[in-house]
Amino acid sequence: MDSLAFWLLLPALALSGPGRPAGTPQQGLAQDGAAGPRAGTPCPPGLEVLVERGFASERGLGPGDTLAIRPRTGASACAARVAGIFEPRADPATLTRDRPRILFHLPQLAAFTGRPDEVDRFSVRLRSGADTAAAAERLAGYLPGARVLPTAEVARRSSTTFEVVRRFHRAIALITLVAGAVFLACIMVLKVQERRGPVAALRLIGVSRRTLFAWILAEAALVSVVGGALGVGIGKAASAVINRYYRGVYGTGLTFSLVTPGTVEQALVLAVGLGLAAGAAAALHLLSRDPLLEVGR
Amino acid sequence: MLFRASVRELLRHPLRTGLAVLGVAVSAAMLVDMLMLGGGITTSFRELLLGKGYAIRVTPRGTLPLDTDATLEGADSLRRAMAADPGVAGVAPVLAVRLTAAGTSALALGVDPDEQGVYRLTGGREPASGEAVVGPGLARDGDLAPGDSLVLVAPAALGTAAAGRRTFRVSGTADFVYASREERSVAVSIADLRGLSGRPDRASFLMVRAAPGRDADAVARALSRDFPGVAVASASELVERAGRRLSYFRQLAVILGTVSLFVAALLVGTIMAVSIGERAGIVAALRAVGISRRSLVAALAAESLVLTAAAGVLGLGLGLVVAGRLESILAGFPGLPSAVRFFVLRPGPLLVGYGALLLAGTLAAVVPAWRAASGSIALALHREEP
Repeated sequence: MDSLAFWLLLPALALSGPGRPAGTPQQGLAQDGAAGPRAGTPCPPGLEVLVERGFASERGLGPGDTLAIRPRTGASACAARVAGIFEPRADPATLTRDRPRILFHLPQLAAFTGRPDEVDRFSVRLRSGADTAAAAERLAGYLPGARVLPTAEVARRSSTTFEVVRRFHRAIALITLVAGAVFLACIMVLKVQERRGPVAALRLIGVSRRTLFAWILAEAALVSVVGGALGVGIGKAASAVINRYYRGVYGTGLTFSLVTPGTVEQALVLAVGLGLAAGAAAALHLLSRDPLLEVGR
Repeated sequence: MLFRASVRELLRHPLRTGLAVLGVAVSAAMLVDMLMLGGGITTSFRELLLGKGYAIRVTPRGTLPLDTDATLEGADSLRRAMAADPGVAGVAPVLAVRLTAAGTSALALGVDPDEQGVYRLTGGREPASGEAVVGPGLARDGDLAPGDSLVLVAPAALGTAAAGRRTFRVSGTADFVYASREERSVAVSIADLRGLSGRPDRASFLMVRAAPGRDADAVARALSRDFPGVAVASASELVERAGRRLSYFRQLAVILGTVSLFVAALLVGTIMAVSIGERAGIVAALRAVGISRRSLVAALAAESLVLTAAAGVLGLGLGLVVAGRLESILAGFPGLPSAVRFFVLRPGPLLVGYGALLLAGTLAAVVPAWRAASGSIALALHREEP
């Protein structure tokens, strides 16, 4: 069986409203919706809810407590029993959400808000082997105006924010890389220029250019590897600090910064590659000069 | 003289100087970008909120404008009551409804055309009853221009009867202040949208203009006290809330800005340490003929200052170019009003940043310069002996 095959979004209803990206998964209803609860709607009997952990601990709520809830500002309150506390799934899409979530039984929520026979969306599970696109097309015909979206499309739309952040990080990384490359080139030029005299002397006593070139290159590689390894260490430490800080800020178990083996490999390859290139350029520049002039003769 | 001597010394090593200037310029560019990013979004958001003089927003409690579908009941009487407050110059109601326009999903705003702050006309005229003003996205997708017909289908009518369907005449085109780049927007009179969507006497939010000479924050506090059933927020509060949501960018700007400054200082310090080390003999000779230690340190620090100043200017140009590219990436944030900018050029922070860069670059040279100027003259001259 396919798991969640696609979502059916009904744009008419409260929680897919203006200002929110289409397809953002939402649960519960704490505000008065556009259609609004009907006046004088009685409280549904045996009203019980699940309360999000963060909100429950903030307000000191626990199972068995009673919560006064209103379908809209100014409406009469209904007493709802807290049936349990739930831990919301760690979801980066809801990271900055500042409204608590409360889960209702659907019929009770419909009665409570005076909106019978309404839903925000359906999640549809397909039979194993069913053609998702064809099923979506068939379902779309049942209710003109509704959007039928494959789960992958919903995921793509709701992750647009993170895609933008990823591209931004890549751009920042590129700038950092350019700065690092120039820094490295500078250091290599300085190191090579520093030993103009000894290198010229070695050439004058018969050490070949190739040997000297290899020597400078080996040194460049060593500096790059040590620098790269140090950078990876600093990166890992920074990553741990970032995760610790933002997990605390948002009260979530999400991983904000991840140093993968691929990232380490990429960083080391780049560091060594750039170091070797800078070393080679500096060595070629030095070895092309007349050794007699370099020693002042 | 100090300046000329510094420039001459730097020009003696064009490759080294060129690379150092480039390295510091890239770091300075990053610093410039981070300074622009640091307070850019809040500055831009504040300008957006205050663009048409409406410094206060009134929403259902617990919500922000255009954040949910929640609406204010009895919006007309609330508007009248607020307009009667001596601190208030005008109240503009807005009803936002997502509907289908010209066969595509669009955000419809119901407004009072005589008192509204959500769009700026770019062509045609304000909408009368039965007329609509369209944004650039909808005008483009629906091939609409003033005089054309536009069919709006409100959600209540989807899949049912034609009760929520109405044909409007396009009276004008407009730029919608809070619309994102990808948004298709349309504005009609609030009475028309209420009728179309079945939301009598409702508004999504009210925009309030404070009377001339009155402090918007104080007016917002007074309204909040007088109307406890609704949420009243001044632009400052909204900017603060938006800032909290986007605090990541501010934190990133602080971290990367600090790192950039550190890298620039490190690079200048390294270059100057090597450069001064090469001239240890000259420094010793100058001390031997009576030039004071302080003068020598000042001369070497001036050399570093010239290098950093030149790189800083180059970095500013580079930073502006890079900021443009980064802005185009961040503009892809879904739902972000297209008028909001992440990178905003603010002279104050930029000057402070440039000053910090010069200071860091100059101080980076002071330590090696002081060491060179404090060593044994005889030993240094002996080392220079061929």
